[in-house]
Parts: sequence; C-alpha cells; structure tokens
Amino acid sequence: MSYDYLFKYIIIGDTGVGKSCLLLQFTDKRFQPVHDLTIGVEFGARMVTIDGRPIKLQIWDTAGQESFRSITRSYYRGAAGALLVYDITRRETFNHLASWLEDARQHANPNMTIMLVGNKCDLAHRRAVSKEEGEQFAKENGLLFLEASARTAQNVEEAFVKTAAKILQNIQEGVIDASNEFGHGRPQGLSGGRDGTVSQRSGCCS
Amino acid sequence: MDKSTISENDDSKSTSGELSRADITHGEHPLSLGESSVWNKFFQDTEIIEQIDRDVKRTHPDMHFFSGDSPDAKDNQEALKTVLTIFAKLNPGIRYVQGMNEILAPLYYVFRNDPDEENAASAEADSFFCFVELLSGFRDNFCKQLDNSVVGIRSTITRLSDMLKEHDEELWRHLEVTTKVNPQFYAFRWITLLLTQEFNFADSLHIWDTLLSDPEGPQETVLRICCAMLILIRRRLLAGDFTSNLRLLQNYPSTNVGHLLYVANKLRTTPSG
Repeated sequence: MSYDYLFKYIIIGDTGVGKSCLLLQFTDKRFQPVHDLTIGVEFGARMVTIDGRPIKLQIWDTAGQESFRSITRSYYRGAAGALLVYDITRRETFNHLASWLEDARQHANPNMTIMLVGNKCDLAHRRAVSKEEGEQFAKENGLLFLEASARTAQNVEEAFVKTAAKILQNIQEGVIDASNEFGHGRPQGLSGGRDGTVSQRSGCCS
Repeated sequence: MDKSTISENDDSKSTSGELSRADITHGEHPLSLGESSVWNKFFQDTEIIEQIDRDVKRTHPDMHFFSGDSPDAKDNQEALKTVLTIFAKLNPGIRYVQGMNEILAPLYYVFRNDPDEENAASAEADSFFCFVELLSGFRDNFCKQLDNSVVGIRSTITRLSDMLKEHDEELWRHLEVTTKVNPQFYAFRWITLLLTQEFNFADSLHIWDTLLSDPEGPQETVLRICCAMLILIRRRLLAGDFTSNLRLLQNYPSTNVGHLLYVANKLRTTPSG
C-alpha cells in the first residue's frame, strides 16, 4: 500500500505499564490480559489517515526493564514520535517519567513528538495518580497527554493518531524537515519512500 | 516494640521511651541511600522481589502448570520466585533481568515432572543448581555493562550475522543490506532466551535437549540453530521487505523441529561451496 509519510514511533516506559497491550490494541484491535514479557523490542505497523493523507506508522515497542536500556536506546534513533506510558494504578511508574524523558531527550531527535499516556484508566478504583497530575507533568514538559485503556480500547486510537497529527503539523509548519530532520541528510524516520528506507543502524559503538 | 528492649536502650534518657538519636547511625537511617545501608538494601530487594513476582505471573500464562489459581500452579510460581530471588541476591552484579524467568521455567518444569516423586520434590533445588550452571556460560548476555563488549550480547549477535554470511551470503545481503533488518531486532530475544519464546513449549524442550547435550556448549549451538532458522525460511525472507521480514522473524512460523536441528547440525562443517 502506498503512503505519503512513514513515521517511526517508539513506546517507552516502565515494565508492566501496558506498552505491548497498547500496541496490540492499536494494530490488532484485541486485548491480551496477561501479555508475555517484551525482551528487546517488538515491532508493529499500521496505516492511518490524517487530513486525507495516508501515513504508515512503524512502531517499536521496547522492553521496560532498566537492564535493557542500553539496547532500547538504539531504537530512539530516527523516531518521529514516542508514546511515554505509565500505569495510573502504580505511582512509581509515574515517578520514573522524568528519567525516561531525560533518556528520550538525550538519545532521540529533540523535535520528537511525545505523547504521555496514563494507561489502565479502566481501573479507576485503584487509581494512584490523578489525571490532573498527568496533565501537569505533560504541560510542564511540553508533551501531549491522554489517559487510555488498552483493555477497553478507550483513547488508544487517539493516542497514536493525535501524535501523528502533531508530527504532520510540525512538518507542514516547517518545524521539522521531513527529508532532513530525522535523518541527518538521509531519509530516515520520516520518509516518503518505500519500506525499509528507515535507518536501522544500532546507534552508537556499532 | 517490646517494652523491655526500650527500657534497656533507655540508659541515656530516663523517661521518654524513644531511642536516642545517637543510637541510629546515619548509614542505617531509613532514608539513607548509602550502599551499606540496610534500609536501602531492603528497599532494593523489595523492588526486585516485586518485579520477579510480576514476571513470574507472566510466565507461560497459557499453561496450567505455571499459571492460574490452582494450588499446584501457586506452588510452582513460589518455587520460581524463590530461585530467581536467591540468584539475584547471590549475583549483585546482574541481579534479576527480565527473561531469566523464561530460562528457568523449562528446567523447573522438567524436574517437577520427574516420574520419581522423590526427585520431583527436589525440583526447586535441582533447577536452581542447573539454572546457575546454565547461566554461568551465558550471563554476560544479561549484563548491561557488557552489552557493547566482546563477550556481550551485541558481539554474540554479530557472530550470528557472520555465520549467516558464511553459509548463505545471498540471504545475509538481502536481510542486512537490502531490507536493513538489523539482526538485533530479532536475534536479541532468540539468543538471550535460548529460543524459549519462538516455539511451542514441547518444541522448546526438544531444542533444549540438543542445546544442553552438544559438546560445543549451548552458546555455540544456539547460534547454529538461529542460523538454520533463517536458512529454513530463506525463500520467504528473500521475497520480503523490511516490514514483512521483521514480522516473520519476530513471529517465527511453526516448523518441524527435528528438521531444523538436522539443518543446524549440518552447519557445523564449513560450507562446501
């Protein structure tokens, strides 16, 4: 299928917050209550249409455990968008956002669009982080924000699509250059080309 | 706190019933982040134990042996948790890394299902011993400080890439040059988890029999099997682009494991050109 743009996304956040379940809900429209651990990275892709333009999302779902970060970091490269996910029922996953953000700022393109996602909002009775706190953190750090539920699918589509809309807007406003910004001169994270034109080099030291 | 202990500690202060500040050294203060602080250690242990707990619940959720609320499944989960926790305590440089649960699971399963009940009763201890033994040859893959070193996971993956290039250069070129599928995207999980996630459980055990019995050791053997996995689906890979190849390799199609192991064994000898 042809598309106007290819956006690379990464999904990051602590282990067990529901990153893989968000991806599965978005790509396959189903929910798996007990998902396998993600070891390394898992890959998903889906087409979306924004303002009538077909856009292919290439999504990299990363492992949440700290031990994997040196591997995970190599996937930030060339990413146009990120979903930074926490679990509204586990306070510590919210507390760790600053460190994830720092990682992203350090290893990804500074113009990467980041959507903060408070997942598991169907478990409101076990809520440990208020919606206002999530909003506040997003505002302070210039992120988009949504509360979502991979279980009920609430706001899952929106999280991915609104991120793409923002990236597209940035391209149209010239904030980012689709041909250069993400590729250091080569077509990478954003490209109008065929599959596989995205750079997949493994970051540093390779 | 027991009244008598309070009064014993109360020599310096006559009546208040509180410990005097001097009795708690700075290092033992509950908020101390010092490495020797017992409290800091306690909090770190708690964090690891909670993570192990969450991951054990996610180990083979489709198998009654490991998952669900039956007393047997609960006992088995407890045993896995104990082994992983003790390993983490004894190996502070590595502690617990996600995926260790998947390495331990087949070992424990086999010991626990020993027809000899006396043997089966020792499954926890036996699997701990074998887990330590198995990881001793493998733990560099789990050590993030070594990720970029010659013994770490990146270098192991490069060896797989070299092996593929040696045995099937056309496929190697198509994957890594034409479609730019970095082997790290799929082989990281294949190698660190010794192929436990790529096949059904029975097939994994079959593969493990080969991994553990090969005189060259599991590390070498797993690379050969990985290489054979690529070669077996070469036609589909050669016809695929980046997306379809990555999807195929991250969801390896079910295959005849006997044949896979046969092909892998053939790779032992250098290609005849």
